[in-house]
Amino acid sequence: MDRQRKGRIIFHVDMNSFYASVEAAHDPSLRGKPLAIAGSIEERRGIVVTASYEARAQGVNPPMPLWEAKKSCPDLVVRKPDFPKYRQASENMFQLLYEYTPLVEPVSIDEGYMDVTHPVDDRPPLEIAKHIQDRLLKELALPSSIGVAPNKFLAKMASDMKKPLGITVLRKRSVPDVLWPLDVIEMHGVGEKTAEKLKRQGITTIGELAKSDPIQLKSSFGVAGVRMHERAYGEDHRQVDPDAISEFKSIGNSTTLPRDTKNEAVVRKVLMNLSDSVSRRMRRKEVYGGNIQLTIRYKDRKTITRSRKLDHPISSSQDIYEEVWALFQQYWDEKPIRLLGVTAQDIVEKGHAHQQLDLFQYADTLKREKLSNTVDHIRNKFGEGALLKGAQMSEDSSDLLRDEEKRGTSLEKDFLREGFLNEKQDNED
Amino acid sequence: MKFKVHRDQFVQGVQHVAKSISQRTTIPILTGMKLEASAEGVTLTGSDSDISIEYFIPKEDEEHQYVEVFEEGSIVLQAKYFTEIVKKLPKETVEISVQDQFATTVMSGSAVFNLNGLDPEEYPRLPQVEEDKTFQIPKDLLKNLIRQTVFATSNAETRPILTGVHWQLNDEQLTCSATDSHRLAMRKAKINTNSSGLSFSNVVIPGKSLSELSKVLNDSDELVDVVVSENQILFKADHFLFFSRLLEGNYPATENMIPTEAKTSVILQSKRFLSAIERSMLLSEDNKNNVVNLKTIGNGMLEITSVTPEVGKATEEVTSEEMSGEDLRISFNGKNLIDALKVVDSEEVKIDFTGAMSPFVLKPTDHDHSLHLFSPVRTY
Repeated sequence: MDRQRKGRIIFHVDMNSFYASVEAAHDPSLRGKPLAIAGSIEERRGIVVTASYEARAQGVNPPMPLWEAKKSCPDLVVRKPDFPKYRQASENMFQLLYEYTPLVEPVSIDEGYMDVTHPVDDRPPLEIAKHIQDRLLKELALPSSIGVAPNKFLAKMASDMKKPLGITVLRKRSVPDVLWPLDVIEMHGVGEKTAEKLKRQGITTIGELAKSDPIQLKSSFGVAGVRMHERAYGEDHRQVDPDAISEFKSIGNSTTLPRDTKNEAVVRKVLMNLSDSVSRRMRRKEVYGGNIQLTIRYKDRKTITRSRKLDHPISSSQDIYEEVWALFQQYWDEKPIRLLGVTAQDIVEKGHAHQQLDLFQYADTLKREKLSNTVDHIRNKFGEGALLKGAQMSEDSSDLLRDEEKRGTSLEKDFLREGFLNEKQDNED
Repeated sequence: MKFKVHRDQFVQGVQHVAKSISQRTTIPILTGMKLEASAEGVTLTGSDSDISIEYFIPKEDEEHQYVEVFEEGSIVLQAKYFTEIVKKLPKETVEISVQDQFATTVMSGSAVFNLNGLDPEEYPRLPQVEEDKTFQIPKDLLKNLIRQTVFATSNAETRPILTGVHWQLNDEQLTCSATDSHRLAMRKAKINTNSSGLSFSNVVIPGKSLSELSKVLNDSDELVDVVVSENQILFKADHFLFFSRLLEGNYPATENMIPTEAKTSVILQSKRFLSAIERSMLLSEDNKNNVVNLKTIGNGMLEITSVTPEVGKATEEVTSEEMSGEDLRISFNGKNLIDALKVVDSEEVKIDFTGAMSPFVLKPTDHDHSLHLFSPVRTY
């Protein structure tokens, strides 16, 4: 163990402006231009998800509203997101990484860790890093930054230090010089809330965090406090786990409504579409959720989440919808709604879900299961719009959830941006 | 009001009646116990508006004098304090007297408690029950009926009617059934209605009421009068009246849920089967994963397994006394089987399976007055 820990070499590979880079890779005319990928071009919810470095240089800082981005960069080129394209690019990129070691842990669509302690060929780590970066750029036209360090935390910190196209080595012995002067918010794993809380305790920099009392940190932050303290010294014992991505805890989708609404018919339809989309993702991953959560953000930005423990895990759109609709009716306080979200939690894998059949309707249960599988099959074959419930028909942005190209997928949590995901709601990835 | 009463008789009465009193009631006076002294004796009353108990201590019987009434009258006392006081009184007799403004004195030996009582006129009247549907049942049989059905009631409020036990009387046969929609317990009993042709159905008694009733019944074959009315049921025993509200609504039809044919049948020793299932569930977290898998492995043997992810797997082979029909593989909620096997009064049980995805029936082999039905668990 010890020997292995001492000698580990971990890479954090981070793609630069991934969506924008993929677009530019497909359309060379976009290269060198200020480019932004925005969720929607017209509607209010238009938010810049990614911007090329050229756009960033002109003050476009995602995530920011599109109108604001256009103000600071009038010749901004805007593209709608094309997730199937990004997924494909992501797959190609990880494929390339796997050529160096099987120990690749995808963290999201555009970043991952690699354990290159024992690489497939015996070149020095820095040469491997350079090789990877060059090939990503040449073969896939995708720029990346790579952090090289003895553990995941330091590798992640290192890859952030030079963008684009950086290769940064961060050794444990340089932690006091490099990390300690930084603000705690710069530390990977420290969010706004935690940083605020630390500041209230007089801890502003990572160095101050390192020098503070771990017992006190534990009492105010729990185990996370102890972890933060270790990280401040550059310690991180987590292994690179190629299967980590499958250990998601929840699957969720949310959408900002085109207009704030109090109209139950609108809500019903949005919740139906969200349920449909969550259901599809669960089915694709062959999992079930034992707990369904509803998120409502009101016009005044006050956000509530309410969930219900189910007596058996579910994945069908109908079941999910029935649960969120019941939650909605119970907890909505009749104020105008800005955003709705549906999340399945307590995820269990196929083969581990149990349902005690109902004596009164066990025949119906089995029948419905069959129907739901059939609907899924038809949609897989003919597209998401092939079979819809009456209430789901009409134009609005939640329809996009059925649209493969525009819908957020497992890895695109930034597409959902906005505050309620800041709270580390483990949105699957 | 003023009376003197034997402490032991009094304590028993007070404790019985206290079972019907809840501190969490919307009607404040129901947190109290009503005491009433008359020429015949002392009557104690308690109620939580679902159940009401009236307990009578007679002035005397053939052998003893229990009560001496000096002045008739009534009072309501806070049950919380009164019950505790009465249990701990030092001497053989208790004297209770009411002065002005419901001020009450409880005395025993040299211990004196002065309690502020409540106006007995404000205490609600007990339900009036028309006595046209009445039958008799021995106390011990009644206790058994309760024990063998109440456990199967639902405690979820999603279908309130299932929190009760359904009673039906037909051709001198009383059928009690309870189900939480995953398992069903049914118990039948012969009732002597003196050929009155009495019959009723859709009488649904809250499970909680029956549990409380069972606690105040002793194990004897003395008869209890049962009076059934539109929305109340009344149990009349020698010293007490026990009223319960009935649940409103239609109890679902259950008779037709019970399969009449079997694809696989096994006869097992009840105790051995019970302990095997209990063992297989040692690895399951509390109520989280009660799934037990059962399969036939030939030579009249069954294999019971239970898997708890991250903890481990339990496997046990059970020898059947008799087995016939197709091979079988089925999963069920082990906790439900344990509940049923614990109340089965039979050395052996017969289980009839009708397939992996259909309900199965467990019956004692000694007699045919009880039956348990279980739904299987689907793994997906």
